[in-house]
Amino acid sequence: MSIPQSMFDTSLQSTLNDLEAQRKVVYNLKVKSFSIIGGGILLIGIGAFLGTLILHFGIAGAVALLFGFISYSKADTSFNEYRHEFKQKVISTALKSIDQSLTFDYENGLREGEFIFSQLFKQKPDRYSSQDQVFGSAGKTRFSFSEVHAEYKTETRTKNGGRQEHWHTIFKGIVFYADFNKHFNGITVVRPKDFGSAIGAWFAEKIPLFSSSGDELVKLENPDFEKLFVTYSSDQVEARYILTPAMMERLCQLDSKSKYTISVSFIDNQMYIAFPLDKDYFEPPLYKSLLDQKSIGEDLDVIRFMYGIVQELDLNTRIWGKQ
Amino acid sequence: MIIVIVILAVLLIIGIVIYNNLIGKKNQVDNAFSAIDVMLKKRFDLLPNLVETVKQYMQYEGDLLTKVVELRAKTASGQLSPEEKIEVDKQLTTTVRGMMVNVENYPDLKASQNFLNLQSTWTESEEQIAAARRAYNAAVTSYNDAIMMFPGNIFAGMLNYLPMAVLANTQEERKNISAKDLFNN
Repeated sequence: MSIPQSMFDTSLQSTLNDLEAQRKVVYNLKVKSFSIIGGGILLIGIGAFLGTLILHFGIAGAVALLFGFISYSKADTSFNEYRHEFKQKVISTALKSIDQSLTFDYENGLREGEFIFSQLFKQKPDRYSSQDQVFGSAGKTRFSFSEVHAEYKTETRTKNGGRQEHWHTIFKGIVFYADFNKHFNGITVVRPKDFGSAIGAWFAEKIPLFSSSGDELVKLENPDFEKLFVTYSSDQVEARYILTPAMMERLCQLDSKSKYTISVSFIDNQMYIAFPLDKDYFEPPLYKSLLDQKSIGEDLDVIRFMYGIVQELDLNTRIWGKQ
Repeated sequence: MIIVIVILAVLLIIGIVIYNNLIGKKNQVDNAFSAIDVMLKKRFDLLPNLVETVKQYMQYEGDLLTKVVELRAKTASGQLSPEEKIEVDKQLTTTVRGMMVNVENYPDLKASQNFLNLQSTWTESEEQIAAARRAYNAAVTSYNDAIMMFPGNIFAGMLNYLPMAVLANTQEERKNISAKDLFNN
């Protein structure tokens, strides 16, 4: 059940007004600390330039720098408080405005083990972080989504024999998962069809011996779907039981709403979808006014979109033996 | 001399890969067909239960019930060829669907938990059969491609492999299943 928009607006408006005052305080603190640090650097610079009075300017500059850093760390603490308040009050209220069942846990996210278990990505992460987890249900279907950033590491040798680490993003965006409306036992994975996966799929089809994992390539009938995705499954029949013609069409539609191609996996009676995104959501603005509807509007759009997936994929139709 | 041996060895390996690939594809088709068979058996196994449950409530839908009982007897005889099984299943699907629609007239039956379970298991098996048929068609297409395209067609000729026909999709498979259409509720 949803709360009328006007009611949501009034309850949110007073929270936003309070937070806006807090934002201004944090903003001023940050500006102040940056000015002091800037002043300190300037003093040291002048000292070095003049040469003669370097000691005086140097000491004054160092004091200003120290003061600036202390003030910056204070600003940082108050920013965290502000961020905390924003997530707890604004995002939670926004969630409730969409469905009363939605809850928000900004400190936790999808566990790394579950991210690996989902098999959405082949590469195992070396560095993983996840936060802003939303739980809830839409009709009969329980679902959850969280922001995830997973990276892997490569090392190269530098000229002088040292090692240099390079971090590459496996995935950054939102991982959504929901209880699927049919029973299944195997694993079915739908990945974007990029150059590498297309070649892998070609080999898997032509020369099955070269198939990298135990999962077989599944060739489906929908040409649009096949153009976008490569599907692997442990069971050819089950993959088609899950990916019915209707489901393939719905997934194509869902994908068309995302800027980057989505990845989908079906495992342990759950469905996982990864939406790659460019920006972080559910973060408060610092240099822009909170009362500017645009930033919160984007967060709300994401929540509505995720909530709408259950409807869009028709996960509430439970006529196949699973309640 | 060595070059000739290498070329021969490479050709032999390519030949073995193509040969094995063809055999694999043929086996996949057989495998996919037996998957349909398994799903059909699962569906036929539901029938005795369905008939028993419905009999208690639907005294007035004699025709439909008799038809289902007849079809059930056919499936129980165990002498059906795969093609006949598919045909019987087609008739069953239509008849049972007719029965499900008429459930509206029998509130007691509609409220029976046993019947509701049967109903969802029935739709589940329908979806599974549709999936098995699609898997079979995909296997057949892949096999047909392999035996018709060069160089697979050379081996296919030697092995006497012939193209196979895909199963025609029924109207029901093409349209999206929705609870509303099925049960009229």
